[in-house]
Amino acid sequence: MLVYTLLAVVAIIVALFVTPMRYKVWTATGIISAAAIAAITLAVKAFSDGTTELMSFSTIFFGRETLMVDPLSGLFLVIIAIASIATVIYSRGYVEGYLKRYSSAHISLHYTALVTLVIAMMAVVLSSGGFSFLFSWEMMTIASFILILFEAERQEVRRAALNYLVMMHIGFMLLVVGFVMVYNVTGSANFAAIVDYFKMQAPLPLFVILFLGFGMKAGIFPMHIWLPEAHPAAPSHVSAIMSGVMIKTGIYGIIRLMQAIDLNVQLLNTIGMIILFSGIITGLWGVIMAAMQNDIKRLLAYSSIENVGVILIGLGVAAIGHSAGSDLIGMCGMCGALLHVVNHSLFKTLLFFSAGNIYSKMHTTSLNKMGGLAKHMPMTAIIMLFAVVAICALPPLNGFVSELLIYIGMFNGVSDGREVLFSVAAIIALSLIGGIVVLAFTKLYGTIFLGSPRSTHVAESTEVDNYRIGAMAIPIAAILFIGLLPQFAIHPITMVAEAITGDDNTIAVEYFDPTLSTLSYISWALIAVIVALYLLKRRAQRNRTISEGPTWGCGFTAPNERMQYTGESFSEGLESITKPLMNDTVDGRSVEKSEIFPQPHNYRIQHKDKVDSWLAQWWVKMMHRINGYVMRLRTGRVNNYITFALVFFIVVLVLSLFNVL
Amino acid sequence: MFLVKLLNTLLMIVVALFITGVINRTRAVMAGRKGIRFFQHVYNVRLLLRKGAVYSPTTTILFRIAPCVYLGAAMVAFLFIPIADLEPVLSFRGDIIFVAYLLALTRVAIVLAALDTGSSFEGMGAAREALYGALVEPALMMGLATLALFCGYSSFAEIFSTAQELNTNLTIVMLLLAYVFVIIMIIEAGRIPVDDPKTHLELTMIHEVMCLDYSGVDLAMIQITGWLKNAIFAMIAANAVSVAFCFHWQFTVPLAILGTGITIGIVESFRARNKLSRNTTYIITIVALSALVLLTGFLLNLNIEI
Repeated sequence: MLVYTLLAVVAIIVALFVTPMRYKVWTATGIISAAAIAAITLAVKAFSDGTTELMSFSTIFFGRETLMVDPLSGLFLVIIAIASIATVIYSRGYVEGYLKRYSSAHISLHYTALVTLVIAMMAVVLSSGGFSFLFSWEMMTIASFILILFEAERQEVRRAALNYLVMMHIGFMLLVVGFVMVYNVTGSANFAAIVDYFKMQAPLPLFVILFLGFGMKAGIFPMHIWLPEAHPAAPSHVSAIMSGVMIKTGIYGIIRLMQAIDLNVQLLNTIGMIILFSGIITGLWGVIMAAMQNDIKRLLAYSSIENVGVILIGLGVAAIGHSAGSDLIGMCGMCGALLHVVNHSLFKTLLFFSAGNIYSKMHTTSLNKMGGLAKHMPMTAIIMLFAVVAICALPPLNGFVSELLIYIGMFNGVSDGREVLFSVAAIIALSLIGGIVVLAFTKLYGTIFLGSPRSTHVAESTEVDNYRIGAMAIPIAAILFIGLLPQFAIHPITMVAEAITGDDNTIAVEYFDPTLSTLSYISWALIAVIVALYLLKRRAQRNRTISEGPTWGCGFTAPNERMQYTGESFSEGLESITKPLMNDTVDGRSVEKSEIFPQPHNYRIQHKDKVDSWLAQWWVKMMHRINGYVMRLRTGRVNNYITFALVFFIVVLVLSLFNVL
Repeated sequence: MFLVKLLNTLLMIVVALFITGVINRTRAVMAGRKGIRFFQHVYNVRLLLRKGAVYSPTTTILFRIAPCVYLGAAMVAFLFIPIADLEPVLSFRGDIIFVAYLLALTRVAIVLAALDTGSSFEGMGAAREALYGALVEPALMMGLATLALFCGYSSFAEIFSTAQELNTNLTIVMLLLAYVFVIIMIIEAGRIPVDDPKTHLELTMIHEVMCLDYSGVDLAMIQITGWLKNAIFAMIAANAVSVAFCFHWQFTVPLAILGTGITIGIVESFRARNKLSRNTTYIITIVALSALVLLTGFLLNLNIEI
């Protein structure tokens, strides 16, 4: 296993390094397409034949392990395949701007890491054993670390990458501890062995350890703080694949855990509660923070956290519903969560691609320097509008379908009288999340694309090349398919859910099919009504005077673009409620009320996460202080150092005399 | 079957057309005025529909499509609402969520259109609409969850067609629920005490300021959408009462028109508009109230003495 992996990595590296600069992207596309085709073939096999063993090999620590494909890994393989092909095609245009600045080796390293990341993610979802799983998990972390470091000459990029690496390894340690615990008890570290462990030992500690380990990758509150740092630092296509797919491997791990405890109903209930409430907190925290951000990529990063929250809410509803004895609620929650995993991978890739288009033309991601870009980048504007409508979970696009399934599960919980209070808590959370997401994304879209330009860069920006637009067409097609024909898209999802929960999926199919086909007709009807209204309006206006006049300034005749609402002012109302959750850093001074004729002011505000200071900053400060004490020992005199060595020897001697060592 | 659906739709249109008239007439009577014609708002819209339009050069095509999305989504949502035990045109399990999200779609359309003009005033209105919309969403969902709790289904048609025996618990909860829905209607429609459609200062507006740049057919579409949304919420409130008292549609229709119309008219006559900074508190109070209604409903449903 190890040898083959190393050989494959070496082959990829050699292939990428020898290709000339301009064609490296095509080599990478070739390798990733081959991997993607293989992945999709495997997925099709898993959906038609059920669980299949691919290969078996012995590992260093945990004994014999296998690569297996079952419907759950099949679903994730499809997501990874679609997102990675779109990403690598997109990267052509994005990296082109850097070809002159960076050496050939730099670009090769970038593509090597990209290819490795894709293959490692596929390996993660295929591994059934602890060693191969952890190995590919670590490979995924390292590859993404190199990808974040693309613009390594910027200090904030290096800091974010390092932060990411440290956080991921804390998570990795937890996973190692978890798998070793399983190995100690059962003598094997397969996912299947976790089932035995849960039967033999107190299951909750292991669950919590693994949940935290996976949660670090998925960005569950309060372990989400690496996401808003890493995404602005990484190139956009890397953010797209990391946010769209890589963080979902954490969700994948959690689903595997849920699969392992399926038999124990009481435990399932407890774990459902843990998952549900961490989902509620993650979702609400993510969406509130997203609404506050004034940087495109930070906003998108927080929205990923929110979506992970929504997925966890779905999983929690599934676990609680299943433990309450309702297959229907279980299926609704599980199918909703799985479909949301798929959906989020599609629209989040699209959003990060759009952010990349904007960044490559505007050279900034600050919302407050934009405005009116729709006139200069019409295709990006149209594509991003689709993504925004989808992520706001509005009909008729795909985000709505998955949230609808989760809602149906919760409303069934309420109307059947099963676990009513949990269902109600989830309904409140999900509806509040839905409302604030609308605020966050109308702010994002409105400030970037609509209104008048807030800086002169806007006038110079033009539409991006066709490869990037082409790459963005892939997720769009999938979004439209799931949104408009959900009755077909749900079939593989119910199969996966059946494989996970072991429930009979006929109930769910009987329930979903009529609902989703009606939804599909009504979605088409909605589009038809809107188009018809537009045509009617055009027809009615044909023979009338349609004139142009400036935007109504309410009697004020000299409005300028600086008076427009900015991203910051748009979310001011929400800020007044959520202020206690944030640490604001302010540069400059705002205009005082007493200034009758205000002078020019420089004012910049950043809303930082308070969790960051709770979790990360204090121990950094503590480390600094401890280092300060240690530094006092460094006097620079040789005789002092000899004394230290002598003291050390004496201590060792004394301790060994008393048999302490 | 077809006739029932047709009757349902026609009655809903009647409700949509009458409510604004009733509100205006109530306000006039309360102020001791004779008041405008009952259907003046309809005549105004008819006039608008015959006019041309002025568009700002700042705007994009989105500004011209937005009213169509606004009206289209509201029209589709409108078709889901039953009148007591009559059958609506469209229905499927889970449509209560679909309707709520269609209303969110209308909000996104109008907010983006407002931002498209690049006007600071319209940005103001958009920001407020987005915030209040976000805060009121949980209240709406909890109201719907209470209905699902008592009637056991997740589509409007099934919820309101279930015959309930008259019981005091249900009556109390449903009356409270109707109150919550009327308040949600006030918030969504931008009426006193949250917003004042008749105010003269753009700085203090919410809904009206977002449509400042619309004229002619577009403005007419926005106004029609306003009627449809009013009818949706008024009918849900009236249906909640009807379920409690086993009313049929003959009673529900006048209840929806007169009940909500006169209530809003009276409130508008005697209350001032909230200070804008108070609005968030006001809406959160409504959310808390609907949570309380849901909790009360839950406890009563368990038959625990409280």
